[in-house]
Amino acid sequence: MKALLGQAETVNSLLARYGVKFGIYKNGKFHEQLFPFDAIPRIIDAEEFSVLERGLEQRVTALNCFLKDIYSDKKIISDGVIPPEFVFSSSGFMAECDGVKTPKDIASHISGIDLVQSKDKTWYVLEDNLRVPSGASYPMIARELCRMSSPATFRETHIEDNRNYADLLKAAMDYVNTGGVNVILTPGRYNAAFFEHSYLAEKTGAVLAAGNDLIVDGDFLYYTSYDGTKQRVGAVYRRISDDYLDPIAFNPESVIGVPHIYSVYKKGNVALLNAPGNGIADDKGIYYFVPKMIKYYLGEESILNNAPTYLPFYEEDMKYVLSNFDSLVIKDVAEAGGYGVVFGNSLSEEKKAEFIEQLKAEPRRFIAQEVIDFIDIDIMDKGEIVPRKADLRAFVLTGEDVRVWKSGLTRFSRNPDSFIVNSSQGGGFKDTWVLSR
Amino acid sequence: MEQRFSNFIKDHYFSLKCMPHDTARQKIEFAGVDAEPVEMRSSDIDSFGNSVIIGHTIKPHDTFNVRLTGTALTGLEVFEEKSEDTPMIFTYPSRATRPGIHLSHYHNMIANNAPDGIYQRALYYMRCIYRDFSYCPGATSISTTAENAVQLGKGVCQDYAHIMLALCRLDHIPARYAVGIMTGEGFSHAWVEVKCRQYWYGFDPTNNCLVDDNYIKISHGRDYFDTLVNKGIYHNPAVEVQRIRVEVIRL
Repeated sequence: MKALLGQAETVNSLLARYGVKFGIYKNGKFHEQLFPFDAIPRIIDAEEFSVLERGLEQRVTALNCFLKDIYSDKKIISDGVIPPEFVFSSSGFMAECDGVKTPKDIASHISGIDLVQSKDKTWYVLEDNLRVPSGASYPMIARELCRMSSPATFRETHIEDNRNYADLLKAAMDYVNTGGVNVILTPGRYNAAFFEHSYLAEKTGAVLAAGNDLIVDGDFLYYTSYDGTKQRVGAVYRRISDDYLDPIAFNPESVIGVPHIYSVYKKGNVALLNAPGNGIADDKGIYYFVPKMIKYYLGEESILNNAPTYLPFYEEDMKYVLSNFDSLVIKDVAEAGGYGVVFGNSLSEEKKAEFIEQLKAEPRRFIAQEVIDFIDIDIMDKGEIVPRKADLRAFVLTGEDVRVWKSGLTRFSRNPDSFIVNSSQGGGFKDTWVLSR
Repeated sequence: MEQRFSNFIKDHYFSLKCMPHDTARQKIEFAGVDAEPVEMRSSDIDSFGNSVIIGHTIKPHDTFNVRLTGTALTGLEVFEEKSEDTPMIFTYPSRATRPGIHLSHYHNMIANNAPDGIYQRALYYMRCIYRDFSYCPGATSISTTAENAVQLGKGVCQDYAHIMLALCRLDHIPARYAVGIMTGEGFSHAWVEVKCRQYWYGFDPTNNCLVDDNYIKISHGRDYFDTLVNKGIYHNPAVEVQRIRVEVIRL
């Protein structure tokens, strides 16, 4: 381990050289910054991870059942488990997807589940990311470089090999492929996660394409290479959000999507990973209902805990939220990426009154959660070991089976006082070691 | 329908929601659907069950014409459609029908005197809208919401329909936006369908009447944005003018 820490600088400079960057749009400008790597790994022992693994499989299985149901029979609503408001008033529910069958009934092929561990070692799920979760490439390449710089560390410690992510991803694409090549569709060079798109394409053997490389002809989708030859496309791992995916079916302002791709999809002639419309399942309002979903679809108790959550939509919860405002974190269900998150105790009296006004006016727009005092993890800061808040994004891939990747992206906050670890807000990352025994 | 562009455009992708289909009230026989110029053409069905023609024209062009001819047998039933499903999506606000303070105020004002029963209530709202708003082409645009239109107090068929949808949905009555054509009018027309027990009935707040054999329905959705007759994108800057000419001859 010491040997590895000694190489931290080498690894970071290699990451910079390989272009492992993260782009941020701030004040309308695109800034690209390095995603700082901290060489001290987060270590999860085998027994602990096996509980997480079972919990994550269960959760993603239920979420896929929910997505299938909500865009077909909607039994979970008619059976009174989820109030219809939470579905139909959410921007995550896409009418365009209603009645559309996804290939092999999978909607969330790549799921990024964000967890934190509290001081008593209990894991809590903070949010599900079922649209276009990013980040797997960072621990992949960091591990690769760490292996090179300190091979002994990996010989002497029994760590689960995380090099299989590309295989899991390829298997998920192949399983739903309707005939043709696999494509990773990127918005392009100026996307926050462009490094990841190119890296995953290289590792899975998929074609890396931008919107204008793909064209719909008749009922099929084709990739046109630079010499003009056309190849049929069977699966698209698209790293473009629903809104921008197809300017005809969704947002006509999109210049990065593929016109009519959604029509081809509806005819069952191409698979899209993940399916459009998944935003309804990772909606912060729906999050509250995930343990109920697990019970409803699988008849099981949820293995993983949700953070204690209140819905101001319910009168009782509103009362609780108002009288415990200072100890709660309030989230706007429409926002993502660490935005729209307000800690009750951080507001001035004036701002607080203003916020409560808004909360009362639009109760469905917010959820409130107990602040989980999650554990600190050591990081190296200017040669010194200091504790920082960190979370874990676990990746779950659904193909023929549901598989949890035995690694994950550990993100930490650079600021000692901050609980927000999102990389859009300038944090760093660590490798996540799952011990094999 | 004729679309003219001020410059030659290229890479034109379109979807046309212009094909009427059979309902309980009407039976359609197509003589032809021609569009030109078209290099690729295929079909699709949207999540509301409307037929869509999709396609593209890559090469430069400065006009796009769609011509649809056929005969419709209408007035077969008084309702548009019979269905057992509860269409929950049509009971919640959509983009163009989300109520703000003006709509809520208008609803409060008239809902007190509204009769019980879905059908009676829809009829009442239709009459109120006809009475309280003035038909005024040019006062609103295609992106005007029900809330904006109530504030203005005037609009065209699209706005009348959006207001009625918003009122019905505030009462949790399933209501959807319908587009079609009617005798005696040279343009496309919009009205509202309301679900009462298992039946969808057509109400036309612009003309203060029920949808009868003068109407040929093309499509329906949550609001205007789900029923765009011609939706397209293309390269090259151009000012476009779209003209829709409708001729309905009673046989």
